[in-house]
Order: sequence, then C-alpha cells, then structure tokens
Amino acid sequence: MDFSKYRDMFLNEAAEHLQQMVETLVAVEKQPTDRDGIAALFRQAHSIKGMAATMGYEATARLAHNLEDSLDICRQQDSIDTAQIDRLLAGIDLLEGLLEDISAERPERDIDAFISGTLDVSILELDRPEIIPHADKTAPVAEEMLIELRLDEKAAAAGPRLLVLIRQLANFGAVLKTSPTEAQILQGGAPRKLRVWLQTDQSREQLQQQLRKYSELSDVLFPDEKQVSTRQKKISQIAPTVRVSTDLLDHFINLTGELITNRYSLQTAAGEQNWQNLHEGLGQLTRLVKNLQHQVLQVRMMPLSSVTGRLPRAVRDLCRSSGKEVQLKIDGSEIELDRAILEELTDPLLHMLRNAVDHGIEQRGTVQIKAWRERDQVLIQVADDGCGIDPEKIRQRALERDLLSPAQAETIRNYDLLQLICSPGFSTAGEISATSGRGVGMDVVKTAVERLGGVLLIDSTLGEGAKITMKLPLSVAIIRVLMLDCAGMLLAMPIPRVLQTIEIPPEEVQTSGKQLVISHQGELLPLLSLRKILKRPKGPKLKLLPLVITEVLGRKVGLVVDRLVGQREVFIQSFPAPFDRLRGCSGGTILGDGRLMFVFDLQSLLEKRRG
Amino acid sequence: MAKRVLIVDDALFMRTLLRDIFTAAGWEVVAEAENGLQAIEDYNRHQPDLVTMDIVMPELGGIDAMQRILGTDAEAKVVMCSALGQESMVMEAIQAGAKDFIVKPFQDSQVLEIVERVCGD
Repeated sequence: MDFSKYRDMFLNEAAEHLQQMVETLVAVEKQPTDRDGIAALFRQAHSIKGMAATMGYEATARLAHNLEDSLDICRQQDSIDTAQIDRLLAGIDLLEGLLEDISAERPERDIDAFISGTLDVSILELDRPEIIPHADKTAPVAEEMLIELRLDEKAAAAGPRLLVLIRQLANFGAVLKTSPTEAQILQGGAPRKLRVWLQTDQSREQLQQQLRKYSELSDVLFPDEKQVSTRQKKISQIAPTVRVSTDLLDHFINLTGELITNRYSLQTAAGEQNWQNLHEGLGQLTRLVKNLQHQVLQVRMMPLSSVTGRLPRAVRDLCRSSGKEVQLKIDGSEIELDRAILEELTDPLLHMLRNAVDHGIEQRGTVQIKAWRERDQVLIQVADDGCGIDPEKIRQRALERDLLSPAQAETIRNYDLLQLICSPGFSTAGEISATSGRGVGMDVVKTAVERLGGVLLIDSTLGEGAKITMKLPLSVAIIRVLMLDCAGMLLAMPIPRVLQTIEIPPEEVQTSGKQLVISHQGELLPLLSLRKILKRPKGPKLKLLPLVITEVLGRKVGLVVDRLVGQREVFIQSFPAPFDRLRGCSGGTILGDGRLMFVFDLQSLLEKRRG
Repeated sequence: MAKRVLIVDDALFMRTLLRDIFTAAGWEVVAEAENGLQAIEDYNRHQPDLVTMDIVMPELGGIDAMQRILGTDAEAKVVMCSALGQESMVMEAIQAGAKDFIVKPFQDSQVLEIVERVCGD
C-alpha cells in the first residue's frame, strides 16, 4: 500500500512540533520555571514519539522518547537548566536530521551516541518494547494488510465497539491507519464498517481466528489492496496542499456567480450592439476580476512568522558560541507574503541575522527585525545597534578587489559604498571574522531578493549600527511593472527595481573618461543604453532622453530607453525549457493585443555581455 | 482455578444481576463496590482478574476510578458497563484504558463473551 501520504503528513506535523519546541525552549531558558512551557515541550516530544512509532520509524521514536524522558524529569523538578536545554536542542537537531532521512527515504541515522552519552541505557532497553511494540515480533516479516470489519446490525454502541476493535488489532501489529479515523469515531461518526491498515506478522487465518471471538462482527474481510493502493497513490500525488478557510471558498463561489451573470449581460450587450451596456459590463468585469485576483492571492499568503520562528533559536546559538548577549526583537511577523517568497527568505534572513550578531554587535545589543507594508510592497528590515559598517574599510577592500577604480573610490558616496558589500567577490571566506566571515551570503542575499523582484538596501552609520532592508513584492506571479519601449520592442521592468524615472535634455550628458554620465541630485550616474545592450541599431535623436534610474551591482545607473510607456499590473509567467535559460529575461506576459512582453533583468543582461 | 471478578455499580439491582451471571458461569465474585473510591480500595485488596465498572457513580465516577486503578496496576482489566446513549463516555473510557464495554440492558451470553474475551489469553 502507498505509505507516502502518511509519511508526508507525519513529516509536516513532526517538523511543526520540533519548530514549536525550539521556540518554547528558547523562551523557557529565560524563564526556567515556566511550568506550562515545560509541560508543552513534554507533550510535543510525546506526540512525535507516538507518531513515529506508529509509522515504524524506530530511531525517531526512540530519540523522541528519550527527550520526553528528559522533559519528564524537568517537569518533576518544575525547572529546566541550560545544560538540559542544550541537550534538548541537540536532540531536536538530530530529530530534524532523522526527518530528513525519512523524507529522502534513507535509513534513519544512528542515535546511539546521543542517547548513550547521557542517559542510563538500561531504562531505555526496558522502554523499547513499549515504543515499538512489535520490534521483537518481526522475525516473520511484518506485512501491511488491509482488514475490513463489518459490525452486526444488532451490535449496540458502534463507536466504542470500533475503538475496542482497533485496540484489539493493535495487539497483533502496528495499526498504520484506519478509516474512519479514531478522531472521526470519537466525534460520533461511527459507521458499521471499519477499514484498518495493519502491519503485522500474523496471517489472515490467524487474525480471522482472533476476531471470531467478537460476535458483534458480522464479517471480517481482506479486500484487494491493489484497488485501494492505486486510489491512494492518486491522492498522494496532489501534494502540496494549502488549507483554505470556508469563508474564502464562499467568496469564490459568490464571485463565480457574479462573473456568470456578468458574462450574460456582456453577451446580451454585444448582441444588441448596445455600447453603453457593454461599457458598463466591462467596468463590472474589471471590478470582479480585481476582487478575484485579490482573493486568490490571499490563498497563497502566509504570515512572516512562518519563517521568523526559527530565528530566536539561531540567535541563542550564536550567543552561546560567541559569548555575546543579543536580544532579538521581531515586529510585524503577522505581515503576510506569498508563500513562494517566504520560502526563499529563510536563508537570507538567517544570513542577515548572523552578520548582525557576528559583525555588528560588539558585546551586547539588540537585533530588531521589522516588517511592514508600503502599498503593494513588503519591507523587511534587519537592524542592529552595534558598531556599524566602516565605509573606509569597504573603500579599501573595493579597491583591492577592483570593484572600484581609484577615481570612483574618491567620489563615491558613503551610501553607495555600503551597497558594495553585496557584490560577489567582495569578501572571501576566512577573512574579517573567524566565525563566519563578513559578507558571507550578502551577495547571496542580494541575488535571492532580486530574483524575487525585490531590492536590497544597506544603510549604516559608523558607531550606531546597520540597517539592511529588503523591499519585496507581495506576490511573485502578479507584479507591477514599468513598461519601456526600446527599438520597437516593449519591455517590462519590475517596479521595485525602478528607483526613479526622469527625462533629461541631451545637453546634460557629460563624459567622464570613456563613460557617459549625468549629474543627478549631486552625484554622477553612469549612463547605459538599452539599445546598445540589446545590440539594436542607434535610435533617432530625441529632444528629451527618457531615463530609468536603477541599480546594477549595488551602483546607481541611468538606463536610456526610447520611451517610458507606463505602469501596469501583469501576470508574469516563466518560460518553459529551453527558453528558461535565456539570460537577462526573467519571464513574460501576454498583452491585451496578444503581443508578448518580456520582463528583463538588467544585471544578468550585463553579465551576459561581459561573459 | 476460578476467575475472580470485582463488580462496581451504584445500583444494587445491577450488582445482583451481574453477580448471578458470573456465579452461574463459575466465576468468583471477590467484592461488590458502590462507588469509585470503594472500587479502588477493593481492587487493591483483592487484585481481581477483572473489574466490571459502571460509568456514572457517586463519590468517584467509573472512568476516574479506572484511571487510578490503572495507575497502580497497568495490567488491570476493566470492562465498562454503560447504558445506551453513553457512547461518548464509553469512548473516553476506552481511550483511557478500558479493555471493553457492556451495554445495558445485557444478556448473560453477551456479558460472558465479552469478559472471557478480555481475560482470554
């Protein structure tokens, strides 16, 4: 039978428990006599043990049981100390590793070293049969068997009877699953038929023999597994799933209804060539679609807390290893973002946090993570009150690494200098800090943010700390773009990448060495021609040059285009292979007139040109 | 050797009925208890092979009493006696460790089938 569906459910649920345990442990460390916290930890270890044992993951169950035992001791003492917390956290790490093994369908890793290092093995030996009730009985190979039990019509109290039967079957093997589930039976939904998936070394005849004692049973059947398992396989392929509130589903139904009505009125208006009604109908359609878009996006939204949950633990570990005292504050974790974006943010946030603790804060301080919304963007800021980033050191390093010419190093503004820490190759491993090396991941962070159509901004005042801000779109699929015309081609640039658009008379263009520049708000911006980048012929002379001010490799540049067409919300689709390998192009969208508009990525276009 | 049973029920009628069923089948009734507290005491004193436990009783209810008995003897075999319409309580009892249940009004054969099954192996 197909087990993968239950495996995934187990993995998800166990991972959630572990995550909560880490959060609780970090909180409990500050309040070591928090009874409720310790009790919650105990319960969670207990749940993981139960689930793992049911699934037959022996090492996982044994380790969870071991943690449960330690927590039981804490529970009896009504307190928990740092050594215990360390050990529990290490155990949780090991459990996470075990979950990875299970997920990758590898054998579970060895846990004996962890367990024997601390706990009296004799106790464990005693407990083993309880956790894995049939470890010893597996000499004849335990097989998965589907049993269908039918209750006699006259049997009273079907619910309790089914529960007793499930428990009875558990004596012969491991009950993998039942239909209806125990929870359903407990809620009163007790039919006369029960299906039990049992892992057992008993034969059908033996089971039948045992069940014959129950006169309440009219039938004991062993249905053909194949039919069941193929159906199950189909179900398990529909992963991953999202939980949607019924309210939202009702909204969808209402909207669908209104769209149907709208369709008929448009049809009628078109048939009668009644332009007034057609016009009104289209207005209504626009509203409905906008509403629908909003609701659909809502389904994909998840709170930031789903990724910041791991951070307190990370800070705690960093503090333990560095001997610093760092407080972590998180504001706005209820802010919602598209799940695809959140998934990509886990690592960048961790990098930023690590940098703040390792390099920003000297001995004690605070790291604040703040999230807020500005129109259709979400801003996430990681700020520390440490020593700040020294622009002189960056200038020095940028020169060493050829990221700046000596002339540029003279004129560059401090703010622009700071952005250079995200340049690839700005730092290499093993320098600045023995622990993680400044800049480890800062270019990775920047790349990740930009891949999502966002921007990364770095700000710091020497002696007052650093602030790193990510500006992100709410959703990856539907974004606002700036439409540009270049040699008759319509191109789009995600709005977060646009710092400003201006039009300047050609006389304002100056030369600096070989480079064309303009002076803008007191600084010199290099100019790039989109036509030249795309290898198009030179365009006609214009009275005003349309410019898009954007950032490339942490530096502001002015991109010369033929025409600024306007802004629009578009549905971006990535291209299927092999077109997904087109560099400089991150996707496309179809316009109302059927034309294809490319979304371009200036940075990778330039990289291509270089390469 | 005859199997030994402890009967717990607050109604004399029910206790008598059960006593007769058990005795006729060759069981030894070691004690009858009228409430949960008394049941715990009797259990500890007699260590019977089986307990039939009413659910709703004064002083201490059947589920609580069973849990306390299981707390001292995890192997205790407790069969709940319930009336129709107490299904959710019976399910709670089973979750808490009851081995099986009997639904009132019961017949001799039913009761014996269940208790023998529970004590079977």
